[in-house]
Amino acid sequence: MSHSAKGSPASEPSWGKRSDLDVLNRDIPRVDGPVKATGQAIYTHDVRLPDMLWARLLIHPVPRAEIESIDLEAASEMPGVVHIEALKESGDTVRYHGDDAVLAVVAAETPEQAADALREIRVKATSLPPVVTRAQALEDDAPVVSRRRNADANVGRANERGDAARADAALAEAVAVVERTFEIPVQHHACLETHGHVVQPAPDDEPVTVYASTQSVGGTPRGLARTLGRDASRIRVLTPHMGGGFGSKFGPGLEGALAARVANTTGRPVHLMLTRADEFAIAGNRSGSRQTLKVGADSEGRLVGLKLEADKLGGVSGGSLPGPPYIYTVADDDAVSSKIRSVHTATDGSRAMRAPGHPQASFAMEAAVDELAYLLGMDLVEMRIRNLESDVHHRQLRRVAEEIGWAEHPHRDRPGTAVNGRAVGIGFGVSVWGPGGRSSRCDVTVRPDGSVVSATATQDLGTGARTYVAAIVAEELGLTVDMVEARIGDSDLPPSVTSGGSVTTGSSAPAIKDAAHKAREALEALVADVLGAPVGSYSWKGGRVSVRGDASRSLPWIAVCALLREPLVAQGEFRDFLHEGRIHGAQAARVEVDTLTGRVKVLKMVTCQDQGLPLNRLALRSQINGGMIQALSYGLLEQRVFDEQDGFLLSDTLDLYKLAGAQEIPEMVALIDDEDERPSVCGMAEAPVIPGHSAIAGAIHNACGARLTRMPFTADNVLETLYGKI
Amino acid sequence: MKDFDLKLPDSLDAAVGELPSEYSRDGAQVLAGGQDIVTVMKDAIERPAALVSLQRLGLDAIEWDGDGGVTIGATVTIQALAEDPNMEFSLPALREAARSIGSPQIRSQGTVGGNLNQRPRCPYYRHPSVSCFKKGGSVCLAEFGFNKYAAIFGGGPSYYSHPSDLATVLLMLGATVSITGPAGERRVPLSELYLLPEDALDTETVLSPDEILTSVHIPAQPPGARSSYLKFKERASYDFALAAVAVSVTRGDDGVVTEARVVLGGVAPKPWEVPAAARALVGEPMGPQAWTAAGEAAVADADPLEHNGYKIHLVKGLLFRALEALA
Repeated sequence: MSHSAKGSPASEPSWGKRSDLDVLNRDIPRVDGPVKATGQAIYTHDVRLPDMLWARLLIHPVPRAEIESIDLEAASEMPGVVHIEALKESGDTVRYHGDDAVLAVVAAETPEQAADALREIRVKATSLPPVVTRAQALEDDAPVVSRRRNADANVGRANERGDAARADAALAEAVAVVERTFEIPVQHHACLETHGHVVQPAPDDEPVTVYASTQSVGGTPRGLARTLGRDASRIRVLTPHMGGGFGSKFGPGLEGALAARVANTTGRPVHLMLTRADEFAIAGNRSGSRQTLKVGADSEGRLVGLKLEADKLGGVSGGSLPGPPYIYTVADDDAVSSKIRSVHTATDGSRAMRAPGHPQASFAMEAAVDELAYLLGMDLVEMRIRNLESDVHHRQLRRVAEEIGWAEHPHRDRPGTAVNGRAVGIGFGVSVWGPGGRSSRCDVTVRPDGSVVSATATQDLGTGARTYVAAIVAEELGLTVDMVEARIGDSDLPPSVTSGGSVTTGSSAPAIKDAAHKAREALEALVADVLGAPVGSYSWKGGRVSVRGDASRSLPWIAVCALLREPLVAQGEFRDFLHEGRIHGAQAARVEVDTLTGRVKVLKMVTCQDQGLPLNRLALRSQINGGMIQALSYGLLEQRVFDEQDGFLLSDTLDLYKLAGAQEIPEMVALIDDEDERPSVCGMAEAPVIPGHSAIAGAIHNACGARLTRMPFTADNVLETLYGKI
Repeated sequence: MKDFDLKLPDSLDAAVGELPSEYSRDGAQVLAGGQDIVTVMKDAIERPAALVSLQRLGLDAIEWDGDGGVTIGATVTIQALAEDPNMEFSLPALREAARSIGSPQIRSQGTVGGNLNQRPRCPYYRHPSVSCFKKGGSVCLAEFGFNKYAAIFGGGPSYYSHPSDLATVLLMLGATVSITGPAGERRVPLSELYLLPEDALDTETVLSPDEILTSVHIPAQPPGARSSYLKFKERASYDFALAAVAVSVTRGDDGVVTEARVVLGGVAPKPWEVPAAARALVGEPMGPQAWTAAGEAAVADADPLEHNGYKIHLVKGLLFRALEALA
């Protein structure tokens, strides 16, 4: 038996006045920072179990092929091989580069033995035309690689909105019109920890334990139940630490199913983490796009008409692209028309990736706004403010403009020119997001010895979630963060949400708050017998509880807990009024372009971001910085590259899939928009990744007049835009 | 990775004795810092049955002679080269090239000899599943495929660009390498060390499989010569050169260029000297006009493929910037 803190509370929880907060809305160092920085944190990749097997996958190197034979004999005789199986047989087809290209799985006593055995598998196959580019997919006689039912071409049904004739009419009357075609390559999530699992089988009467690098510790048991042949309730999934997901790790995937199957078959623990090359081949991506965007403005700079024709390039998946006008407002809704379709290639399907579709839409729309401003001779910030409805965006744009030095910048309404081949420019972009909040639970346990545990089945993808799981409770009970133990990453804990779409904080933080509040009221009911004031009239600060207005009547925390005869368990749940998911951001970038060499050096990036109450300002700025870095890397470098002749994925190493490193990182300023005083919380991870590359492209244009319509902004792209292709 | 024997000979003769006279994919190869050979072995591009380590041969010294020349042992690490106290003053271009290589980890392990003997970085060559001329195949997929990083000079039938930063500078400095094989030692000017694909496909140098590059000798530079190395990395943090220039200029009292040497890197299957660019500088005062003329001369013979024409702009820009920095 334990004390129960269920039942209707005496008062509703609230985040409180910001001036009263002692823990939240401050810089809180991550509670797991030391174990991560010292290498003690155990990620799924680090799990080592007695008698564990190491599994590796054989992935066919070209996207389309007819399999003649897969000969496992030599491989099965290699040292250390315990399990080997082919996933395709003679006559089967490899239909796309992705999970359909996994030909075999090998499990051996060491990872090296597994890799050596893979090389001894003899595959005879006939390659088919690869269909890896949009152009190849759209050729008249292109093989149909679309996975859509009854597909007779590689083009999905177009999503058409608006009236093209009305848009044309509005554009015909516009004072300034810009039309451009934008091409955006496929980006990878490039998680530092690759996808994978360690599966520990168990007798029927014991739970199977699965270590998973997942964004859904709570959903993974269901995802593996059928493969493991048991009910999800008898599968325990653990994600103690996690090396990034960005939308690519919602389910166990083929690699998880194979780990489970090999563990079931062999009866031994199986470690199956994708290699980096596997990761690039089958673990998803952000869809590319090709957008032809035409936008017109009147003499006042108001957008009056817009037409978009776009192809989403999500491989065998549909891809993502929100409809126009992205964030900006066109005066007459009816003067906006769009036609968006999916063009399918025989390549790995796109998955959700940090604000799916939004960075792609931002790139085209911000470019159009820049160019219209220049055609009209208008200031880039003023042009934006005239076409953004929200005054939150207005103040944020002014704030980032001030921080980037816009007022002193010599060319705000026209591009500059290079002097001795060097030019400096500034660009802008805006973001929005609607971070959800939904059903989530949390248990807060207070023990007679004063220890406190805050437990919920969320996962920390590297965001800092673990820290607020403790900090919210510490705030409510007047404790320091280190006095509360945060327990997460375990599917046996009270259920919480899958971390996607910035829903984690908006869902779990209200439930943690609710549980902490219930624990507090239950403790106040005990304290009332000693201090004499009714529940609801106490202040919890500095490790003491005192009667509000009479500090002489107080007890230290340890004495409060001593009143407990057994642990107090308070069960919290999602409270909608503690959450609000409507956020805004603005970014600015300052770049230097060397017009002789095509070098783009980003000198400074600034973000201003709102999200209601900042739970942890340090983690928030860190995540904003992460968004800027990911957008910078996307803009400057990242690009999946296939050989178009035979279909080899060439960019399947971190040598050739180029991510920004320390030398690319500019001065970064993350401003938390404290004019947002909403008494609510929500996540904000998606927003800061949306406009950074757009702001950089705008800054390049502002610097030297070169409008890059292709990403990334590498030297070849800059030089060809400036001087033409040779 | 395929199992291999690690040989640790104590003498150069013994080391040479471990090496095969004919090239084969599984023949023994030399191991210096291992930063390249181990990666190609991991990807099964090369499968040597043995590696012959140079570790115990005492080839790790930098020796300055009295007249300004220097001899650099093959197993001197890139980091040691970059940190040599005389380098900044005497050979700043070589120091700059060393500092531009890889990452701190790679520079600390990689060696001068290894850098000069590294294999191509062409994405097709490095892809374990792709067959190409350089791996005994019968095609160069870069010719009509992804050739953004490929050569604009000297290509055909293979179009890789040589990745060595040091080679580009050493050619500009007039260096010579010492090579030891079964017949003893020979010296080869750096200008004769590398072969074009039209001359050989299974190697990039004149070294026989049983020869070891033991040291590099750089002669004293002309009095008053100033040199620099400028490398353009697509990813500034860690990358091979999209293009690079090593340039040396000597000026008379009147400021007019009397001697010049220009070598390009990252644009050909070997370091690519452009005497025409040097000629465009000689007799002219240092200034934008001469720099632009030198750039035009440097790329006059370029023969780009579909996706690497930008390197023509880039070489001109880099040469301009390198000369600007020397002015």
